[in-house]
Amino acid sequence: MANNKAPYRTAGRGNDGSKTINFTFDGKAYQGVQGDTLASALLANGVHLMGRSFKYHRPRGVLGAGSEEPNALVTLDRGKGRVTPNIRATVLEIFEGLVTRSQNAWPNLKTDIGAFNNIFSAFFPAGFYNKTFMWPKSFWDKVYEPIIRNMAGLGPAPSEPDADVYASVYGHCETLIVGAGPAGIAAALTAAKSGGRIILVDENPVLGGSLLSVPNDKIDGLEISKWLANSIRTLQKMRNVKLMTRTTAIGYYHDNFIGLAERITDHIPNITPGVSREKLHRIRAGKVILAQGAIERPLVFNGNDRPGVMLASAAQTFQSRYGVAVGNAAILFTSHDSGYAAVFDLADANIRIPIVVDVRDEIPKDIRAQAKQRGIEIASGASISKTHGSTRINGVEIYSPSTGAKRKVNCDALLMCGGWTPSLHLWSHSKSTIKWDDEIAAYVPDMPNENAVCAGACNGDFGLLAALKGGNKAAGGRKTYKVTARNFGAGTTFVSLPSYIDTSKQKAFVDFQNDATQKDINLAVREGFASIEHVKRYTTIGMATDQGKTSNLNAMQIASNAVNKTVEQVGLTTFRPPYTPTTYGTFAGYRTGDLFEVERKTPMDGWAQEHGAVYEPVGIWRRARYFPKPGEDMDAAVARECKATRDSLGIFDASTLGKIEVVGPDAAKFMNLMYTNPWAQLGEGRCRYGLMLREDGYIYDDGVVGRLAEDRFHVTTTTGGAPRVFRHMEDYLQTEFPHLDVWLTSTTEQWAVIALNGPSARKLIEPFVENIDLSPEKFPHMAVREGTICGVETRLFRVSFSGELGFEINVPAHYGRAVWETLFEAGKKYAITPYGTETMHVLRAEKGFIIVGQDTDGTVTPGDAGMEWAVSKKKKDFVGRRSLKRPDLVASGRKQLVGLLTENPKTVLEEGAQIVADPNQSIPMDMIGHVTSSYWSESLGHSIAMALVMYGFDKEGEDIYIPIEGNTHKAKIVSPMFYDPKGERLNVV
Amino acid sequence: MLFSQDINISEALQTNALSMTLMDEKTRYSLRIKPKDLAAFKKASGLKLPAKIGQSIRTSAHSYLCLGPDEWIVITANENRNNLREIFVNMTAKFTYSYVDVSHRNIGFVLSGEQVENAINIGCPLDLSLDTFPIGKVTRTVFENAPIMVLRTGTTEFQLECWRSFAPYICGLFDRFAMDL
Repeated sequence: MANNKAPYRTAGRGNDGSKTINFTFDGKAYQGVQGDTLASALLANGVHLMGRSFKYHRPRGVLGAGSEEPNALVTLDRGKGRVTPNIRATVLEIFEGLVTRSQNAWPNLKTDIGAFNNIFSAFFPAGFYNKTFMWPKSFWDKVYEPIIRNMAGLGPAPSEPDADVYASVYGHCETLIVGAGPAGIAAALTAAKSGGRIILVDENPVLGGSLLSVPNDKIDGLEISKWLANSIRTLQKMRNVKLMTRTTAIGYYHDNFIGLAERITDHIPNITPGVSREKLHRIRAGKVILAQGAIERPLVFNGNDRPGVMLASAAQTFQSRYGVAVGNAAILFTSHDSGYAAVFDLADANIRIPIVVDVRDEIPKDIRAQAKQRGIEIASGASISKTHGSTRINGVEIYSPSTGAKRKVNCDALLMCGGWTPSLHLWSHSKSTIKWDDEIAAYVPDMPNENAVCAGACNGDFGLLAALKGGNKAAGGRKTYKVTARNFGAGTTFVSLPSYIDTSKQKAFVDFQNDATQKDINLAVREGFASIEHVKRYTTIGMATDQGKTSNLNAMQIASNAVNKTVEQVGLTTFRPPYTPTTYGTFAGYRTGDLFEVERKTPMDGWAQEHGAVYEPVGIWRRARYFPKPGEDMDAAVARECKATRDSLGIFDASTLGKIEVVGPDAAKFMNLMYTNPWAQLGEGRCRYGLMLREDGYIYDDGVVGRLAEDRFHVTTTTGGAPRVFRHMEDYLQTEFPHLDVWLTSTTEQWAVIALNGPSARKLIEPFVENIDLSPEKFPHMAVREGTICGVETRLFRVSFSGELGFEINVPAHYGRAVWETLFEAGKKYAITPYGTETMHVLRAEKGFIIVGQDTDGTVTPGDAGMEWAVSKKKKDFVGRRSLKRPDLVASGRKQLVGLLTENPKTVLEEGAQIVADPNQSIPMDMIGHVTSSYWSESLGHSIAMALVMYGFDKEGEDIYIPIEGNTHKAKIVSPMFYDPKGERLNVV
Repeated sequence: MLFSQDINISEALQTNALSMTLMDEKTRYSLRIKPKDLAAFKKASGLKLPAKIGQSIRTSAHSYLCLGPDEWIVITANENRNNLREIFVNMTAKFTYSYVDVSHRNIGFVLSGEQVENAINIGCPLDLSLDTFPIGKVTRTVFENAPIMVLRTGTTEFQLECWRSFAPYICGLFDRFAMDL
């Protein structure tokens, strides 16, 4: 066993003790053994002081021995980008070279200046932050909050990006068992026989749960350690069983969907780069067996937070599992029989038990006998009114309420046991109901909301035998077990422990992590907070990172007593995932960096990158925004690209446009219903601009549509709108127009689209196109033809979003780049210029073409946009038609889309800037509209803008004003058709 | 013209545990046929379209995948492209239905190896165990933020297809998974 020389090291079952581990805490070197947690290793070295409390900076040691720990929070430092604060020392496995630090203390843990908060604690009551710092308001951000954040709190948040990587995976099983204590293991052994897939998960590094902490009694004639080893071996051999340690079931979601956080590398000294630190398993389970056990409840008494004061079960765990004595002389303070089990185990390991203080008057005879046998004195009907010591307990004051007698007894550890709280966290996540059990003074499971069952202590069935039977039964078994373990026993709950000190003068902690006391709860109630949810928020009880695992029930009982109601009437706070603090990395899984979100790229994206494109995101696409030449900024590049396109030829990647193929004999009927325009008369091979409304009559999307055949339309949508337009169409087709024989297929990614604009466009493509007559007579503006280009099949559109002669060449996507490169090479003789979305925007704005989502914002009708021409007057129905007649949509005074020319031609207005009629009006001025698009137009030598302005159409020729950042710009309302209003440039031959 | 899917599969994804290969150029058609016409359509066209959602049939010429109550994908080698299109054009006279060329919309991968289920399950929430997802089963599903289609072609082999621009994201996730192997 333990060869380690640490002073409090004894023999433990959970570690083999064969390997010594070196680590540091606050710069000081210590030794532990393989299997230790930081808490057990420090305790083995006699170190109880592990942290300072949240608000009062009180010295704190460990309270528990597991994941419920509220006190002993430390910072783990594994180098740059690997500093993790607020790790519970009780679950942090030590490894060679581990570096840890205490938190919330300065200059050091022993002498913490912040502890003056403790001395002045009378001035820090519940709700203190809310009350005292309300005035002056301006002080909050700059003075109070930073000071409070600095003084109160936990470890500082990491400042470096996380250097680790994480994983995530989905999984499935027939039975998921949470907790590998006696109940969980019994359940797994039984369920495994069914042949279905079983996952048994436990947050600890070793399986066994409480079996590792209790004395080595017998199960079915075998020592517990032997029974456990045999059971694990049996389960390991079964191919349908997956055993997962270091894995916490963090949340229970709908339809038996459970989140498991697996810690893979945290316990390993050397991290291999690229190997995931943690892994999130998203498990869909047929059935869930919750065997989470129970958490011992602290007693609420004056001085119950001094280092050395801990849960009785924690001392038992440190003793049996880790082989660590929590002290030389341990006193038990209890209201429950189970506390005796812990001190008897300690006594049997030769730790002196000076006295047991039992609040109850009646103590079971067998316990008295066992105590007597060990020479342990019991003070019944007594209480502890004070604890002595500073950074470690050195004695207690025992108070006997019947006689009023007080006496001091020395000790270096105080164990407390106030009964047990079944762990209902996951059960509650699943929206299963709970009920109050008076006998154990705790909530227990009631009705399940999922295919789930609780077994063992989390079901309120305490003790080894009950756990084994419960686990077996939960998995459908009917086995009986023979165990030699002590009876678990029973207890009494005392809302207020006897003391001669007024409760207002006591430091009796309820929530250790948030430093909230019994006094705070009473104050909250006095100030009118009656619901536990309000008490919780006012006192912050249960709101720390431990979510009140050790404090909630005590808080509820104190509050219910204060308002003179039952616990059930006071209400229950909500359990929320995650069960224990979980890293952001685990939730992100693989989805970090480039994998955080899909970034869609077009087939020509690589070419753009090689040609120096600057990108912008459009939806989840990345698009080339402009192609700067050396020394050019965006304005210069865009001016050059615009000019080159209007002078001769520009090439633009339009592949991201959404494309939907609408096919079937009723295709035209369907198009008539989905778009405002008429489609029946559109001839084969012709195109039309389509405008789509939502049911409410506002513009939703637009795009050019080509009719390829009587029963086949090639519809284009905006880049960002493609998925929602497809859904919108499919929704109407399936729900409103299911009688139509028409089908929709997304072809966005089938086609790469090369847009050529400029007077030389036709000349460029002529030599490459086959089977299409490109002459203006045979292939007019707004037409589509099928043929080949560069030997590749194409759908060739003659359309223009620039006002120039334009073609949109659709080719199968995986030929897109090759065709682009061929055309670009040949286009050099026409000074072909690649351009991006910015130039595309300028060219279209010069023509007054709208961009849905930029010049419209979901409140713009076709009338507002000056696009009545696109709305059929003859059609009896289309989506949004009836809404267009709504009184508010036909009312006068709506904002209408107009053009703006600034008085100073060089002024390019801010997009989004507000517009006023009278710049001399006092503030707040009446805002009559806003700028939607604004650019420098190289072609016009003048800035241009589009704006939505009230009564805009009637104001053409009038001046308006745009006050912004100390300047007021004057502009004239004009038609938005700034360039070539007659459209003659489309017809260049 | 140069056919380019612009995808590079890393060496980490060429092991026995997990191997990923890019499928070459294929012809793919999306078919929408009224369920009541299916039997007659099959007879007239000679296409072996399975009737049940999630079913696939592979013949020497084509793969037929049934993705919805009235929806199929037919995948075939490019040499069969003209034949297949001719069949579809001929069928338009007899049936009210839809066929759309989606050959280049998709990129197809073959994934194989003993880790293949685990690999797909990093992003796909479906139960891929052989009992519930037998050989020949196909479905449209998701791979984290990407829509995909998976088809089981063997005990430890799947065909995974996605829309073209989602492929690098999917490859990136498999790369990360391979680092943990």
